[in-house]
Amino acid sequence: MVTPTALKRIVPFVFTLLLMAPPAAQAQDEGLMVKVDQPDLTLKVGETAQLSAKIVNAEGVDQEKRVLFFSMNRRAVSVSSTGEVKALKPGTYNLFVGMNRQVYTQVKVTVPYPPVSRVTIVDAPARIYAGTRVALGTEVEDASGALRDNVAVRMVSSDPSVATVDAFNRLTAHKTGRVTITAEAESEQSETTIDIVTNPITRVMLSGGEPEARTGDVLTFSATATDEAGKAVGDAPVIFTVFAEPDDPLAPSASAQIAQDGRFVAETPGLYTIVASTGHLSDQTTVRVRPREVRRDVELIGHGAVSAVKTSDLWVWEGVDGRDYAVTGTWGANGEAYFWDVTDPATPALIDTVTVDARTVNDVKVSEDGAICIISREGASSRKNGIVILDCTNPYDVKIISEFTENLTGGVHNLFIYQNHVFALSAGQRYDIINIDDPAKPYRVGSFELDTPGHSIHDVWVEDGIAYSSNWSDGVVMVDVGNGIAGGSVSNPVMIGSYAYPSGWNHAAFPYKSKDTGKFYIIAGDEAFPDGKPAGWIHFIDFTDPENPQEVARYEVPEAGTHNMWVEDDKLYVAYYQGGLRVVDISGDLMGDLYKQGREIAKFKAEDPNGNVPNSPMAWGPQPYKGRIFFSDMNSGLWIVKLKGDEQKPGL
Amino acid sequence: MQTAIRILTLLLLLTAASLTAQAQTYYVYVAAESEDEVALVRFDGEIAEVVKTIEVGTWPTEIEGPHGMTVSPDGAYWYLSLAHGLPYGKVIKYKTGTDEKVGEAELGLFPASMQISAMTGLLYVVNFNLHGKMEPSSVSVVDPETMTEVARTTTGIMPHGSRLTPDGLKHYSVAMMSGELFEIDALTFEVTRRIHTGTGKATMPSRKTDAPTHEHGMPMDADAKPPKPTWVHPHPTKPFVYVANNGTDEIVEIDLEKWTIARRFKTEGAPYNLDVSPDGQHLIASQKKGGSTGIFDLSTGEEVARIPNSRKVTHGVAIAPDNRYAFVSVEGIGGEPGSLDVIDLETMELVATAETGKQAGGIAFWKIEGD
Repeated sequence: MVTPTALKRIVPFVFTLLLMAPPAAQAQDEGLMVKVDQPDLTLKVGETAQLSAKIVNAEGVDQEKRVLFFSMNRRAVSVSSTGEVKALKPGTYNLFVGMNRQVYTQVKVTVPYPPVSRVTIVDAPARIYAGTRVALGTEVEDASGALRDNVAVRMVSSDPSVATVDAFNRLTAHKTGRVTITAEAESEQSETTIDIVTNPITRVMLSGGEPEARTGDVLTFSATATDEAGKAVGDAPVIFTVFAEPDDPLAPSASAQIAQDGRFVAETPGLYTIVASTGHLSDQTTVRVRPREVRRDVELIGHGAVSAVKTSDLWVWEGVDGRDYAVTGTWGANGEAYFWDVTDPATPALIDTVTVDARTVNDVKVSEDGAICIISREGASSRKNGIVILDCTNPYDVKIISEFTENLTGGVHNLFIYQNHVFALSAGQRYDIINIDDPAKPYRVGSFELDTPGHSIHDVWVEDGIAYSSNWSDGVVMVDVGNGIAGGSVSNPVMIGSYAYPSGWNHAAFPYKSKDTGKFYIIAGDEAFPDGKPAGWIHFIDFTDPENPQEVARYEVPEAGTHNMWVEDDKLYVAYYQGGLRVVDISGDLMGDLYKQGREIAKFKAEDPNGNVPNSPMAWGPQPYKGRIFFSDMNSGLWIVKLKGDEQKPGL
Repeated sequence: MQTAIRILTLLLLLTAASLTAQAQTYYVYVAAESEDEVALVRFDGEIAEVVKTIEVGTWPTEIEGPHGMTVSPDGAYWYLSLAHGLPYGKVIKYKTGTDEKVGEAELGLFPASMQISAMTGLLYVVNFNLHGKMEPSSVSVVDPETMTEVARTTTGIMPHGSRLTPDGLKHYSVAMMSGELFEIDALTFEVTRRIHTGTGKATMPSRKTDAPTHEHGMPMDADAKPPKPTWVHPHPTKPFVYVANNGTDEIVEIDLEKWTIARRFKTEGAPYNLDVSPDGQHLIASQKKGGSTGIFDLSTGEEVARIPNSRKVTHGVAIAPDNRYAFVSVEGIGGEPGSLDVIDLETMELVATAETGKQAGGIAFWKIEGD
């Protein structure tokens, strides 16, 4: 006899047994298979085909069950629920045809690339001087109209004694004469005729640069080719090269570079010989490159420890009472913002805490007059998030004035205050522009959102009526929000220009105009965790011509990952996560890798044995202020440091 | 056949004899949305405790918001939706037991609730798009074998709760801001029917609207309070689904044969997630307004018990397959931990609580074990 108590115990156990048993559907599927009329298909782009399939038993009898069709690459080849297949992109793909993952088969669909319809030699000069070398370009288009870069192109010369073309499409002119260069791709060909003419050049002269420089200094050389009469030959193909003799000859690596516009920069000290050549003629000059010697030590001034929670961004300002204050946010915690009196930076004092309904106060900003502080909210229990506007005229007793959540429910990750408006990110997709003339009654006046597929935004910074946003794979974007350069305003933001880079890691952007060169850069910072650890670097994008931005330099600490940054007086301050605070000399022209060029002035890793994660630097954001550098560290709070020595006498 | 029954009976008797002194242990996964972690909670009949915490997401300095969870029908894998990406969210596949990540698929904006069909074996995930524009979103269909999105079906505005029928043939989801229930054919991935969960009237495909909105962007309707349905759950054996109308504080029973609202159950307020016990007797509802869990007798439609939860913002519900316990996730507020509350469905009492990471939300029942 089974007692009720025992039954009570048995029932769940039996249920567990049943859960462990093969599903009934699976048992019923045994012996079934899919019979499909076409096990593989070949379709041209745009072509369709009809598949027919049925579920049969081992004897081949149709079980009259519904058949499920789907594509494993639906954007390349689609299949309808009734089995109509359509080829969308070239390649080889699989379709699933069956009842479920137990009873199914796959239909292979091959979509061949359309044949090449055109191959063209581009940028080929009509004439070339004998003895010189030029690179030829090609363009390949297929029958669908797509430009292709995956098609082999072979170039041949009609007379190799006059000119030859190597495997990389570099043409060498051996002697005078006329050649026809033929480019072949699949069955298509095109030709161009080039005259190899007598080389009038009798001399090439190198000029510019400096006899001495420091690592990281960009020297600009130019070369002039002349004929026997001393007249310049303007279309002479001149190639710049550099020969290095590093001071440290042990296992030297590539230690300098020269661009084909004549700009040279070295990473390591030594002698560098710059060579300008055309044909068999050349000229050269040697430059002594010395160490940059900008390294300075860092003095710790003060530390406002935060160990119970993680710290996010910071802002430092002079209060309306003339004293100095800082505010720091908190991350993944209780929705707090901490206010500090940092008038004596050696003893930062926590003077007030504002708590709002949030888990993360990611960003904190203070108005220019020091009266209004705005903090962002994420993780609100109401899921409304938005921003909270604070009266910080008395940072010892900060008051909440209002909150603004309309269309900001997805969380505000970053914000900026510019004049009488707040630029607040919404759900990582756009920024809204909110008027705070009356901070008790904020209202939205405008919004900016990209229209690219899958766009996403991370941060925004505003200067001189231009908003600089960082947009991950869409890169940095400049928007006129009142500058007037593009006719924009806060209620009608107008995009000026943008620049994206392949990694898609763009997380921060900071505008910078070089005092030395007059060039205008947007400095773009990455954020990435490719192996679970911070990585990424700082990109220097020359935006002097906003319609033709050029990425010209980088600052890349190999073992760490970038976060926020600030520029002041030709110095870049970077919170380099586990690499701590970094200070970089960005004076003069910029080219190549500034880290390898010895432009790093200082570094400071905030290590606190009592930190949220002990002795684990995780620098979040820097701000130079009144000769000192304030920065927040995710694991240990607010830090104040200063550079020792001065520009002329770096103090190590 | 009779012999088989006798053998099974004998097996049960023998098992009963050895089990009378043994307890069952229940395992539940709970996602902490503001902590980017998942807790594996064990409940032995008396004590609920977190036995493992699994960090999720790929950005240690960003909160990616783990939201929805489900366990595959064979119990071998669990799936988690991550709400926030750049900008799209993901669904991630993990092995149960080892909890190692084995695959992921990028979906739409803010993917939320999900389930695997018993018929197709495919995973159906709603793209909630909680913070997006007032325009129809979608249900993604994912092949969990390869973690490939194989279809995306457009439904309504802010689809949140979703479940499949036990036979896996029909998928139901509710769109919070267009106030609709959608039925999708699990094999064709096409919407077959739609109904307004407030009025019970059939609806037409909606479009992006420029109409004035409430604070959440809900299109204004002068005639009726918007139902804001947040969850749907089918009856295990009968042709009904139950919809939590969060905006009108009621649960509606929709007759799938007549495609009409059959009954309305009043709740304490803001019903959010639902589950129906496998025996079909009880409907369990998380109720956000009062921070409670409501237990409804499906034969009468009466709320037979209302149990205050351990903290505020009651979120998800999962009932054990043996009908004995309901596991309820509770978000909490600000920096306080989330929790998993265990409710005994015999005594109708809260019997255990385990603290998890912040904002406990997504929940999935994994297994029962004999100790």
